[in-house]
Amino acid sequence: MRVVTLRRVWTAAGTRIGGRDLVYAGLLLLPFVLMIATLMIGLYGISIENVTRALLSPVFPGLADGLSQTEITLVLRIRLPRVLSAVLIGAALASTGVAFQGIFKNPLVDSNLLGVTSGAGFGAALALLIGGTTIVVQGFAFGFGLLAVSLAYLGSRLYSTAPMIVLTLMGILIGSFFGSLTSLMKYIADPLNTLPAITFWLLGGLTGVTWNSVPILALLTVLGSFFLWLVRWRLNILSLGDAEAATLGMNPNRLKLSIIVCATLMTAAAVAVGGVIGWIGLVIPHAGRIIVGPDHKRLIPASLALGASFLLLIDTVSRTLLPTEVPIGILTGLIGVPLLIVLLRRNRTGW
Amino acid sequence: MKWLLRFVFALILSLTVSVVSAQDAPFTIQADDVLQPAVAALYEAKYGAAPVFADADADLLATRDRAVLPADFVGAPPHFLPDAFFVTESQQAAEFVEFAVSPDGQQALIDAGFLPASITVIDQVGNVVEIPQPVRRVITAYSIATYLVYGVGASDRLVSAGYLGARDPVGAARMEAIDPRFPEVSSVVISQTEINVEQVAELQPDVIFTSTRAAWLDTVAELRIPVVLFQGESPERMKESMLLAGQVFGPNAAAQAAAWVDYYDSIFSQVVDQTDDLSAEQRPRVLMVGTEPLRVISGDMYQTDIIAAAGGQSVTAELTGFWNDVNLEQIVLWNPDTIIIVPYGNVTPETLINSPEWQIIPAVQNGQVYKMPSWVAPWDAPVPDSVLGIIWLAQKLFPGRVELDCAAEAVTFFNVFYGHAIPQDEIAAVCAS
Repeated sequence: MRVVTLRRVWTAAGTRIGGRDLVYAGLLLLPFVLMIATLMIGLYGISIENVTRALLSPVFPGLADGLSQTEITLVLRIRLPRVLSAVLIGAALASTGVAFQGIFKNPLVDSNLLGVTSGAGFGAALALLIGGTTIVVQGFAFGFGLLAVSLAYLGSRLYSTAPMIVLTLMGILIGSFFGSLTSLMKYIADPLNTLPAITFWLLGGLTGVTWNSVPILALLTVLGSFFLWLVRWRLNILSLGDAEAATLGMNPNRLKLSIIVCATLMTAAAVAVGGVIGWIGLVIPHAGRIIVGPDHKRLIPASLALGASFLLLIDTVSRTLLPTEVPIGILTGLIGVPLLIVLLRRNRTGW
Repeated sequence: MKWLLRFVFALILSLTVSVVSAQDAPFTIQADDVLQPAVAALYEAKYGAAPVFADADADLLATRDRAVLPADFVGAPPHFLPDAFFVTESQQAAEFVEFAVSPDGQQALIDAGFLPASITVIDQVGNVVEIPQPVRRVITAYSIATYLVYGVGASDRLVSAGYLGARDPVGAARMEAIDPRFPEVSSVVISQTEINVEQVAELQPDVIFTSTRAAWLDTVAELRIPVVLFQGESPERMKESMLLAGQVFGPNAAAQAAAWVDYYDSIFSQVVDQTDDLSAEQRPRVLMVGTEPLRVISGDMYQTDIIAAAGGQSVTAELTGFWNDVNLEQIVLWNPDTIIIVPYGNVTPETLINSPEWQIIPAVQNGQVYKMPSWVAPWDAPVPDSVLGIIWLAQKLFPGRVELDCAAEAVTFFNVFYGHAIPQDEIAAVCAS
């Protein structure tokens, strides 16, 4: 019964009127619209009609008549997995950023706070050094991402006081430890064979994404997002502070731990496929707050949608602007910062 | 008793004479008149006595006349002065020749005033570098430059070097067969990005070879060690690189470098002669990919020139910079006839042939995907060995049209420029891959 009461309180507090609801609904639709739109775009010109027919051909084989194998492969095997990966990774990074900012009560952190990206980077470098295939590299990245966060968590258990601060400190320590290990891997790597592969991976990007990368990423992102959505109102309470949460009858530490596990799984999966893509987890949550306000009930879905849309947009520019791929790291800032400034000016809401 | 004494005396006398003559003239020398003072200076430094010059049929010939060499001679005979070289078949004279082209020999000629005590070179970024002679110890902090040092025959002066393509066991074993000092020389490696200045100082190099990308030039400048910068990303600059490396190590190295340039030019023109009449449409469109299937060369890179030299045209010639990442849609648009994978990295023809995505590229469907081979140094990089890359690629692009035998040329190349006999069957297999 208590749960129901709380939900009502927060629903009431989070309710906005009119235009806001429309904006929110539009935001949730945005990734789907953008997915369809960006599937039509590519360096290799394919008409909208042919893209549509190629997309529907697995369901209606008759539609493939008259399409070239090149068009079908490009749409179904190149553009579709890439668009899906961009959406999933963007959603995962943004929503886990929101979750971390909520539980650490710090708007300047993202899901890499506990070292998951550094661990994943080391795992990938190690796998590349021993000559692993794509699957092995992704597995190592995922595994070491989880390992880094587990180490940070276990390390923080050594102290009984101020667990979150110690956890943060441990995360930073473990992160820099794995960062150093990655540098070590780069130092001993063959400059001709392995080093370029490691550097390529660490830069981040979706150039080589195929269907092989999608299933696990999709599974973890969808399940993880669903979990974050389930705990959306508990995140509101957590961001008030541990004492308040305990007063309201919650076990803040257990909840935080489960959110950290969930966010780490999602981030590790995203990093394993897309490499190190910064900025999104840190900034998209703020864009979300500007648009829908600080209530996690709307902020979680809004961040999922915004993150997905933003990375999809960036990646589409990255793969279509020039004959060569424009690194995502260049575009996130160049496109993201002006967008955010415009948002800030138009919606002067409190945090 | 008298006959006995006479016999003993004669014996002693003959022994003495033979010992003295052995010291004086272990072999006979014939030299052009103008070269005799320099040869005498070398001889005195080596044996502490003046040589006796013969007029004909000597064990050792010192000359400037290339006509004494066989018509099909490839490479450069050992030079002790610019344009002046030795020809010999005698074992004892060979030791003397080895001394003559060594730093000690150079020093003897410097002391006698036949060679300058210091030279000034202009490196490949236009820096004027003064280098005291002879150079006895060199560090190559740029793996490409290591092979330049081998190519000009000065590898015995390496004290620390990075080696491209010698990290894997096969490459390492081959490199050790070429140069037994390889494990020792490569045990301390100074990279372009990382340097320990004290370690460098301890190695006491006379000169450091590196590239324009070296991050530590200012620090090393404090040690007052001459630094020569290399950048060979075109055939012309590649040739410049070799000549520059040759200059640094004295007359013999300079002659070896010039010989390599001649050899390179002759291979170049042979391929060009046989593909000259092809129109632009007839030239195969070549895509060269690197350590990732979707990482391609740019027009600024030496590899583009290798493709052009072999009679093809690089589809990525419009790109600039270094390696570029692209996506498959762009490769469909480029529509390459042939895909060449660089010798290094984990990408193999099977990587592309077994990938469902790459099936839409006609070159993959037609099996026109090849991995460029290498012996140790990669044949696509601006190293002396790249001449073999041109031959191999020309044969792949124009089977039957270009009449050059990769394996035979490789044997010649390694004999002349690495002083190494490579196993014939093994190089034949490498060339056929």
